[in-house]
Amino acid sequence: MSAYLNTRVSLHSSRLWQTTDFQSLLGAADESVPQVLTERGLGTLAAGYTDNDPRSLEARIIALLLEETLILIRPLVGNERAFITYWTQRFEISNVKTLLRGKLAGELAATLLPRLTPMGAFARLDLHELALVEDIAELLRKLEAGPYADIVRLARRAFEASHDLFTLDAALDRSYFEGLAHRARALEATAGAAFRRLMASLIDRTNLIWLLRYRFNYGLPPAQVYYLMVIAHYGLSPDRLRQLSALESVEEVVAALPSQLRGSLHGSTDIPGLFAHLETMAADTAYGVLHSGAPAIARAFAYLILRELDLRDVRAVLRGRHLGLQRDAIGMALRRTHEGGL
Amino acid sequence: MFRPEPMLKLRLLMLGSEAQDAALLLARAGSFCPAALAPVELQESSASDYREIWLEARARLDKLLEHFNNLPEVDLPAGAEAPNRADLEELNDWLKEVWTDCHTAHEAELRADEEHRHLETVEATLNRLAHLDVDLGPLLRPDGLLNINIGSLPSGSVERMRDALGITGHLLSVFDHDLDQSYAVIAGPHQRADEVRGLLAQAGWRELTIPPELRSHPDATREWLIQERARIDATIATQCYLMGSCRQHYLDRLLEARVRLALARPLAEAALTGVRSQGALAALTGWVPRSELADVRARLDAVFHGRYWLSVEEPAAMEARAVPSLVRYPRWLQPFVPLVKSYGVPRYGELDPTLPFALFYLLLFGAMFGDVGHGAVILVLSLGLYRRMGRTVWVGLSAGLVSMLFGVFYGSVFGYEDLLPALWLSPMHHPGQVLTLAVTFGAAFIALTLLVNTRNKLAAGQIAEACFDSTGLAGLVFYLGAVGGAASLAGYAYGKPSAVLALIGLTTVAAYKWNETRAGFGERLLVTSIETLETGIKLFANTLSFMRVAAFSLNHAALALAVFTLAAGMGHAGHWLTIVLGNVIIIVLEGGIVAIQALRLMYYEGFSRFFSGDGTEFVPLRLTNPGTV
Repeated sequence: MSAYLNTRVSLHSSRLWQTTDFQSLLGAADESVPQVLTERGLGTLAAGYTDNDPRSLEARIIALLLEETLILIRPLVGNERAFITYWTQRFEISNVKTLLRGKLAGELAATLLPRLTPMGAFARLDLHELALVEDIAELLRKLEAGPYADIVRLARRAFEASHDLFTLDAALDRSYFEGLAHRARALEATAGAAFRRLMASLIDRTNLIWLLRYRFNYGLPPAQVYYLMVIAHYGLSPDRLRQLSALESVEEVVAALPSQLRGSLHGSTDIPGLFAHLETMAADTAYGVLHSGAPAIARAFAYLILRELDLRDVRAVLRGRHLGLQRDAIGMALRRTHEGGL
Repeated sequence: MFRPEPMLKLRLLMLGSEAQDAALLLARAGSFCPAALAPVELQESSASDYREIWLEARARLDKLLEHFNNLPEVDLPAGAEAPNRADLEELNDWLKEVWTDCHTAHEAELRADEEHRHLETVEATLNRLAHLDVDLGPLLRPDGLLNINIGSLPSGSVERMRDALGITGHLLSVFDHDLDQSYAVIAGPHQRADEVRGLLAQAGWRELTIPPELRSHPDATREWLIQERARIDATIATQCYLMGSCRQHYLDRLLEARVRLALARPLAEAALTGVRSQGALAALTGWVPRSELADVRARLDAVFHGRYWLSVEEPAAMEARAVPSLVRYPRWLQPFVPLVKSYGVPRYGELDPTLPFALFYLLLFGAMFGDVGHGAVILVLSLGLYRRMGRTVWVGLSAGLVSMLFGVFYGSVFGYEDLLPALWLSPMHHPGQVLTLAVTFGAAFIALTLLVNTRNKLAAGQIAEACFDSTGLAGLVFYLGAVGGAASLAGYAYGKPSAVLALIGLTTVAAYKWNETRAGFGERLLVTSIETLETGIKLFANTLSFMRVAAFSLNHAALALAVFTLAAGMGHAGHWLTIVLGNVIIIVLEGGIVAIQALRLMYYEGFSRFFSGDGTEFVPLRLTNPGTV
């Protein structure tokens, strides 16, 4: 089965966009954008280009990702299948957050439902039923009785203690990523060092982004920041995270990072710049794994990461064009890694 | 019975304020299937709002009914009218109020339960502290040097919490567990208490409130606990009373709400596809069987007295795939319908295969599992399961009867072939004859399916496909010629005419494939050759597939023989035990396999050739019992 998956991943990897593809999309006249998208295998995005609705674009991107994931998981069983399936569930967690925000704002089901992302074959929640609940308390109770009980239980406790939406969101995110790390651990023995590298890149990046944001943008105390980290024993160990959380400036945090991670940040000390470097680093890692002889599951995961980054860049270009931004400004916002930028 | 009823496209225009009554009327008629057929001029969908309100109200009512279980059944009044949008909105608001009342009481009850559990832990804790003879007063004093918190948190968070607290110089010590909760004391420097506050909230920390008097006098615990318990019990009792009184207070109106929501359902359902509007005008659109049109008109006249405009049209040929299929079956045939529908719904205009399916399925089952005794057991078991499975047991009953009939033909009773003389032949003793018969039956069956497919294609206006394709008339001509040719090899006459017939059929199929393929010369040649070759191979393989009918009839006798051989080696008791167990295995195992094989033959050798199964089922608006709103 791994030969089948490897072949599938190799075939799929030809769908990843090159710098020239982005250049064509940036340079195309408005009326030829659908054609450029179709020629480069994104016909489903082309169909919705003219409606200028970011929600519809986002839904189409997610539908495309889910469709490709569905193809890739066909030969998978057991822990491997569970891991990739769980990877898609962050879109459903995103739906949960939309529902929670909507209910907190007292929105009606009819207003909320169009904002939710259809999960197709990966759907585990009855979104219609959840959208019809009266308030956030009832919603949390319902979620706690469903497939995301483990993720929601702690979040409900935290929300009841604070009635703060940030607390709820942060608890959901942390529980989700810890679930992912837990599932990854079950695979690491068979999926090899490449898979561990991918996971380390993902979890370290997530932790560092959260740490910088919570500590310096939101001004949370060190203990709370540390509590919100994903404890997963990759590059940033719990001890290191505890130490980083207690530091007082971005520069100190960057200086205290492991040398390899610090090196890839190219001396940047502003938070948006750091985020961009971290994303580039994650894409490089995934690119390396995809084009290596790594086990099929690691290559499949790398492909899914890269495909999502690509589609987010395509979304950035389309949104930039709709907003009438200059080509250079859009190009600056894109993450281009291996080819040296746009 | 053999084909879906003729349908008419119906567009009913009326005042938007009467749309709910029109939908209710059509639901009462039970013959209108809503579909999106509205004229383009009507661009609004005001019924969508009606549906949204109805969905909300129904969700609230469902939750309330779940709370107040065992509500009495109510009947739908014959002349009752559907609520208009304003009524529905009012009903929805009222249901929201009721639900909020009940939900608040219910939540309070849940919290009181949790408090109860908390209290038990506090009791245990304080008992332990009393034994230690610790004076809690100085420890818990707000102006002391130490910041002390006593409370609970989820057990899974304890280690992380301990690590996080370490950053602020606090310590965490767990003193008890209850389910997934850990009860702990957190202590640290008072000046860093603010840093811990957010962390405690994030971790879902629940503080245990310990009254001041207990801090200095642990012996006062008992009295305090008694008071607390009484308070919580009183809360629970109040909430129970509130819930009970809610039920009493709202019962009549809830039953009424049930009825009103049942009456509103038709428009809410129709709004999904078949209702459009523009200004004060609304249109309900969909399909109605031709035979029901007069009834629908009469009902509309009786209620609206001409305040409507009805447009009725025949479906155009190109619309055929969108027209829903309605086939009415006699009662005795209905148990077989789910077996056909599990393959698909007949397309409008297509022949419905349920009757031939029932006949051929039973025939094949009987031929493969012919035994008077085994058939009788299936018959009796089916009768026994009548109450549990309803009409579905008719499939079992008829299969049992046919099995018995073939048992008489084969002279087989529980595998014994010497109790009853074979009325026709014994498969075990005439295997060649049985094989020939099975293949002959298969050839006739396949020819019939090709003929039916030709008819279906002609009815759908696909003339070229019907005449020249491999599954149409040309395929049939080739197949008959090929079967004739095979028969001549076995010594029957008409060898030459058969070969000519086969050649004409195959050449026609090849010419059609050539004409249909859009590609370069080489690819066209390749595709035509392969597809034409495939026609022959597929029909040949499909025909041979019917050899399984003979194989299973032989298998049945062979299995019985094996059981007898085993039994012969046993003593008296062992002999009969083996016979009984062997027959049970034959009935369960072989009976199941034969039932599946017969189904497989029908689906793959039969249906796949002539039955598209991609039709749309006719699902009319119906008035449902208020109990099932």
